Amino acid sequence: MDSLELTVITIVAMSAPLIFAVIGETITERVGVVNLSMEGTLLITALTGFAITIWTDSLYLGILSSALIGGFIAFIIVWINFRFYINQIAVGFIFTIFLWKLSSYLGGDFVRIPGPYLNKITIPILSEIPFLGPIFFDNNILVLSSIILIPLSWFFLFRTNLGVNLRAVGENPIAADARGLSVMKYRFIYSVIGGILIGIGGATFSLEVKYGWSEGHTLNYGWIALAIVIFGGWNPVRASVGVYGFGILQVLSLKLQSVTIGLSQILPLIPFPLMILTLVLIQSANKNEGRWFPKPIRLLIFGNQPQSLGITYKKDS
Amino acid sequence: MYKIILQNSIATFLSVISVTIVLLILQVMPFEIYGNLFDGSFGSLDKISRTLLIATIMALAGFALVVTFSTGLWNIGIEGQMLFGAIGATFIARTFLAEYFFAPIIIIIFGTLFGSFLGLLSAILKTRFNVHEIFGGLGINFVASGLIVYLVIGPWKREGIASTGGTDLFPKSSWINGIGDSNFPIYPIIIAIIVFITLFILLSRTSLGLKLIATGTNKDAADKFKIDSVKHILYAFIIAGAIGGIAGAIQAASIHHKLVPNIAGGYGFLGILIALIAGRNLFTVVVISIIFASIMVGGVQLQLRLGLDSSFPYIIESVFVMSWLIIKASKIDSKLLMLLVNKETDFG
Repeated sequence: MDSLELTVITIVAMSAPLIFAVIGETITERVGVVNLSMEGTLLITALTGFAITIWTDSLYLGILSSALIGGFIAFIIVWINFRFYINQIAVGFIFTIFLWKLSSYLGGDFVRIPGPYLNKITIPILSEIPFLGPIFFDNNILVLSSIILIPLSWFFLFRTNLGVNLRAVGENPIAADARGLSVMKYRFIYSVIGGILIGIGGATFSLEVKYGWSEGHTLNYGWIALAIVIFGGWNPVRASVGVYGFGILQVLSLKLQSVTIGLSQILPLIPFPLMILTLVLIQSANKNEGRWFPKPIRLLIFGNQPQSLGITYKKDS
Repeated sequence: MYKIILQNSIATFLSVISVTIVLLILQVMPFEIYGNLFDGSFGSLDKISRTLLIATIMALAGFALVVTFSTGLWNIGIEGQMLFGAIGATFIARTFLAEYFFAPIIIIIFGTLFGSFLGLLSAILKTRFNVHEIFGGLGINFVASGLIVYLVIGPWKREGIASTGGTDLFPKSSWINGIGDSNFPIYPIIIAIIVFITLFILLSRTSLGLKLIATGTNKDAADKFKIDSVKHILYAFIIAGAIGGIAGAIQAASIHHKLVPNIAGGYGFLGILIALIAGRNLFTVVVISIIFASIMVGGVQLQLRLGLDSSFPYIIESVFVMSWLIIKASKIDSKLLMLLVNKETDFG
């Protein structure tokens, strides 16, 4: 295996948790809900996955419980929003701090325990194909499903009726309601599904990327994921390109660590200015200033922010 | 007024109960924790000084949020504004100006300028480019923290070694010290009081304040009265950034005496929690800041005496804020108050 191939495999494997988290958040935001608790959710589910796996000796139970916790947190956030009309961003923000600190308290006993990890599923012969082989036929189930999730979620969002309805709820809940869609039902179901994906992302982190648990284990990944969702223009495929791009940045910063410690700390922050730039581009496209871009490029770089994103929906108003 | 205080007392009491329940679920002794928090934050003059210093910083962060809240916008970029304030302070502390007795004043002024620059940036992103202030603010926070890391290990690194441990210490003449031999933070408190009074007058007694609030309450109506909402959003963010910058400069000149990467210490984020409770009420910001600062400072004692994790202050604060918001949203406090008051009138 040459070093380029190895690097590609590393990037794909390293990016798996972010793929889950970013696609989970993309679905959530498409239905009009901001789950700002991402950083906290990733931390607590990373801990859950690891702890349950150690207790039950079953990786699958660990992943399952992370998924349930992630879904539960999303449910609570949407519930508080619907029941008390408290701003989603406020709730998400409080949950970020709460879950982050809760994970560092509850995780105290698990610090630096050698971790279990997922075995690779190797399919003979096929795994010999360069590049594709090791990625698709000699990998663990989490990395594999993260790759499959990308086209799957895109197809669901943009090519099925359910996806159209989901996006309609996110764009204009009042109109969607008038057409007989239950805004509440849609927001609950798809936020929870998004939360489940974020939860799996957390488990992937502690069971696949950085085995085990330490305080603040997920290295700001939650905030980075929020940035990449926007960079991706709320499109799973474009967001995934962003995730792999971020993976390349990380590998670069690891390699540069020996040259200068400065760059290795600053490169991982690049998604944030990119996020701001994307938002600026998106908005100027909407304001007719970006019309001079040829259409294919416009489709590529501009996105469409769900119009009701983060806005509390009151049926009677 | 009297009714509001009673209502808030009930809400506080109920929130403390839910914090207590959460602590019981986490299998720690709530009352032992409360006792230690109080003793650890108000037990001696030294501890009181520390608590008040942290409270000033949190209150400033809270004020910065209140200003933008009055235009209906979040100032999530507060953490970054504090970082920039600290950068401004360090910039001065590294020049010849730091040797003079008036250095602290220049440090505060530059902190203010740097902070307001970042506030302006958030506002321009919001008004000119229509970038949601939450995402713009978050992005700016991380950019600012990247800049600090760069400065600390790059141009402003310590002689010989580049580490993330921080820059060289500021010259002693530029430190913001306590009064006499104690470290009672008299100057930060004076600054906070000045900011408080200025903001109070600005928001409730001037037409600029009225226009800021009009922009936040009803943008369409504000437009009809020819109030330029874009301009007022810019003003609000510049003022907020300036206040955040002051907080950051105080952090640098009075706590760390140098520039360290995490110089905001998360107090900006706690300022957001404080503002969530306070809404547009400056006085509530002060009260909650003192309570939260005592939890943070007393939290050190939790680690020493009870061997508890350093995360407990944050857990207590976040549960408190969440319960408070739910209590206020469901109007449990006013319903309870009505019940109590009605009973009294029955007997009377």
